[in-house]
Amino acid sequence: MPRPAISPVIWYRDPRAALAWLEQAFGFQTSLVVDDGAGGVMHSETEVEGGVIMVVGPPRDSATTPIAAGGQVTQSVHVQLSEEIDAHCERARAAGAKIEREPQTQPYGDRVYTCLDLEGHPWSFGQTIQALTPGQMAAATGHDIATSL
Amino acid sequence: MARMSSALFYQDPRAALAWLEKAFGLELTMLLEDADGNVAHSQMTLGDSMVMIGSEWSEDHQSPKSVGGKNTQTVSIQIDEDIDAHCARARAAGAIIYAEPETQFYGDRTYRCRDPEGHIWNVAQTVAVVSREEAEAATGLKITGWM
Repeated sequence: MPRPAISPVIWYRDPRAALAWLEQAFGFQTSLVVDDGAGGVMHSETEVEGGVIMVVGPPRDSATTPIAAGGQVTQSVHVQLSEEIDAHCERARAAGAKIEREPQTQPYGDRVYTCLDLEGHPWSFGQTIQALTPGQMAAATGHDIATSL
Repeated sequence: MARMSSALFYQDPRAALAWLEKAFGLELTMLLEDADGNVAHSQMTLGDSMVMIGSEWSEDHQSPKSVGGKNTQTVSIQIDEDIDAHCARARAAGAIIYAEPETQFYGDRTYRCRDPEGHIWNVAQTVAVVSREEAEAATGLKITGWM
């Protein structure tokens, strides 16, 4: 698969456990694992719905994982699903994901749920229920919406 | 439509939007502001992908600048051409380049940098097609799957 222009890179204390868990919980499919020769993963690629993330670890230098950082995070990942977001949430919950926001249809037309994974990384999942224009979104959310600076 | 997007937290998301456009050529395609002019949500695109730039919206969602430079996730950018010029542009904009452009065993030329708040960005360009066997032979690493 050609790589998208931008891909999230996520640090885990146990990247192999994370790759297995992401398959079980979120339906990812691992396509590449480069062992670092010391039990860690220096590079990997795992895919869902044409998107790819890179799972690496254990953390070194300035990288960390939320379980080593008191639950604090500097990024999160959003995945846009094409269907069945409620079933996706149930699958994640059954695998041990901590659901923070249950699936709910938002004023901007997407149904969304959020959760924490096995090491505390935050994820959000969305599915477009009703496609709205920026003007309709602005009216629905009360925010000003611009589409350029 | 991007399937997978990173959301990055900044102390000053508005400054980040301007900097990411200048340094990496990301294009702002959506900006939601609340009544006080704060960034509620934004999207910047590059090719088929996007990132979301936001504020430190809870005690758990922090800029690296607020947590001693630590990163729990980073962003990988894949470009088609002229990674050395991409690096020079980022440097000129104030990126701290901590791994200069270098061709890696798997055929990508890569560099790594920090943005003004300490988020780490990896940039890569494929410059050679390398087989898994060649990569294993060159490094001694065990590789499962391949590009």
